[in-house]
Amino acid sequence: MNDDYLWDKTGEPDPQIQQLEEILGTLRYQPRPLPLPVTRRRSYFPVLAIAATVLIALLGTGLWLRVHTNNQPAQKQQAHVPAPSPTIVEKDSTTIANTPEKVDPPRKQRRNRSNQSALSAAKRREREEAIAVKQQLMLALRLASEKLNLAHKKARIG
Amino acid sequence: MSATVEMLPISENRTERTGAGSGVEAVLVKAVLDGDREGFARLYGLYAPLVHGILLARVPRAEVDDLVQDIFLHAFKKLHTLRDGSAFGPWIAMIARNRAVDYHRRSKESVEITDEMRGSDTHDAKAAEILELIRSLPEAYRETLVLRLVEGMTGPEIAARTGLTAASVRVNLHRGMKLLRERLGFLEGL
Repeated sequence: MNDDYLWDKTGEPDPQIQQLEEILGTLRYQPRPLPLPVTRRRSYFPVLAIAATVLIALLGTGLWLRVHTNNQPAQKQQAHVPAPSPTIVEKDSTTIANTPEKVDPPRKQRRNRSNQSALSAAKRREREEAIAVKQQLMLALRLASEKLNLAHKKARIG
Repeated sequence: MSATVEMLPISENRTERTGAGSGVEAVLVKAVLDGDREGFARLYGLYAPLVHGILLARVPRAEVDDLVQDIFLHAFKKLHTLRDGSAFGPWIAMIARNRAVDYHRRSKESVEITDEMRGSDTHDAKAAEILELIRSLPEAYRETLVLRLVEGMTGPEIAARTGLTAASVRVNLHRGMKLLRERLGFLEGL
């Protein structure tokens, strides 16, 4: 038996193996075209657009909360400006030590007025800032929504 | 799966065959993963005879061609799971063997040799008869014998594509051929 011919078809051909090759050769693989499914490359654009939207929304909310909380202590401080306690004018001079110092009524009124105006100015400023932040947030959301729409359209077209 | 299909023209020839097992698979696998569909056509051209031979040694002839295509479609979808591109041959050979096992698990009835399987003319009938004899041999021998005698691969080609060592392919060929010769003694005219 010629092992070389069986192994790598070299050397003296073995007639029996040749006969087998000839007969079995009819069963050999016949090339056929392969129907490959047409696959689209996965687009990460929509995912990125959604992620960007969420990020923008979070940033906007964070910014708004920060501005809001920064203004609150000032507002509280202003709100806690010691209200002038009712003036008790003791006729008895011995009780004077326990009474608050005497406040000049016009001065007190002026201070109250200035406090109120500062308070209203702070409120106005806060409202303006809140409106500005809101507008920024709305703009960011609108941009993100437009990007999402665009991504959706691209995904449908692609 | 998408309903759209693209038919890849496959040409299988000897020059393509020699590329198998020489590292070209790694390049082709990478190209396919980068979107080159022609790369997969080349892999198909290189390895379809191997898959065909593996299946022919295990499942009825009538099922082999469809199973070959199924296996390559599966491989195309799962190619990203193949870590080492140069191991494409052993990988697809394993898929083919597993698919043959699945086939037998699903179709539990015993498969008999029908006239269609035997072929219409006597040459074809003889081929089917010898194939059945090969199939009755131990598994290790039948695959290498089919790849050698039916698909016309040499021993080194079988080793390169299946990932088996040259020594074990040689032993399988030698012992398988010895057994086949013994059993062929019962066939007339050979």
